[in-house]
Amino acid sequence: MLALMNLWVYPLLIIWTVVGLLISPVTFLLWRGVSRWSVAKIMRHFIWLYGRVWMLIVLPFVSFKREGFDQAYRQRTPCIYVINHLSFFDTFCMALQPVSDIAFVVRAWPFRRLFWYTAFMRWARYLDVEDAGFSASAEEARLITDAGGSILFFPEGHRSRDGELQRFYSGAFLLAVKLNLPLVPLCITGTDRLLPPGTFCLRPARVRMQALPPVDPAAFTGEDAHIVMRKQVKAKMALKLKEMRAVD
Amino acid sequence: MTDVEIISLVNDSLIEEFELDESAMVSEAEIFADLGLDSLDIVDMVVVLEGLLEIKIRDDEGLREIRTLGDIHRFVITKKRETETAAD
Repeated sequence: MLALMNLWVYPLLIIWTVVGLLISPVTFLLWRGVSRWSVAKIMRHFIWLYGRVWMLIVLPFVSFKREGFDQAYRQRTPCIYVINHLSFFDTFCMALQPVSDIAFVVRAWPFRRLFWYTAFMRWARYLDVEDAGFSASAEEARLITDAGGSILFFPEGHRSRDGELQRFYSGAFLLAVKLNLPLVPLCITGTDRLLPPGTFCLRPARVRMQALPPVDPAAFTGEDAHIVMRKQVKAKMALKLKEMRAVD
Repeated sequence: MTDVEIISLVNDSLIEEFELDESAMVSEAEIFADLGLDSLDIVDMVVVLEGLLEIKIRDDEGLREIRTLGDIHRFVITKKRETETAAD
């Protein structure tokens, strides 16, 4: 089963990536002509579609379930999303989201090492917070959200090695306070079984994503507003993740 | 408050605030490389230390010179003493 899964998923993912790269220029021009969307919004949508096809590829071996993504959720944009980080494929699983206009905040290494994705991340205006710094990234985030897009953070900064939440960095929470945008916590489980950190061997898994109720930054005041918000959100996510794992 | 008490208070506060490992809290630990803090954490740290020790340090040039946990200890002890002297 394991061998079959890996022999199925990796070749198909490579083929889909190459096909996606080849058809993207024409598709972009067609999409641009029909939708009149901005380049960044189209690219974010393409990345979301890329993730959706990846989900189809792994579907024989991986079940997906999402909860909390109701109509109100879809209309609650722009916002700041935060999600726990378990696996390289967490980013692909963002295609579970019912909205596609989301710019990811990432560290510098994906821009350097995942070179086949770099141009798309740049066109989608993903935020390289490590190289650009917080102030420049916050200004870029303001422009993105003013145009209707949302921002997604992995507040732990790195994948968890043991499945437990690591410490949260403050960037997402400070940005939510500064831009006065709702912060939506997302919890994901199962991707650590699908592809744990430090290995390339895929395993069958059940992936679940749960959206928690949005957090209003206006409820937090004072110069430590983002710190208090960060602690509260982390506590809520930890509790929800515990519940989700108990069911799994 | 003695220097030892200040150091203990600061360490406990940083451990709680940034979920640091107690064994990493040695004075020669570099705040970025060893403790894993980033520039935003320094902003948070200033807010926390100001509240904790009732000092004002956010505009102090000396903040830029801080490299290690020991630097933080020396810096806040100096500022605490200056604040106490000014209050007397």
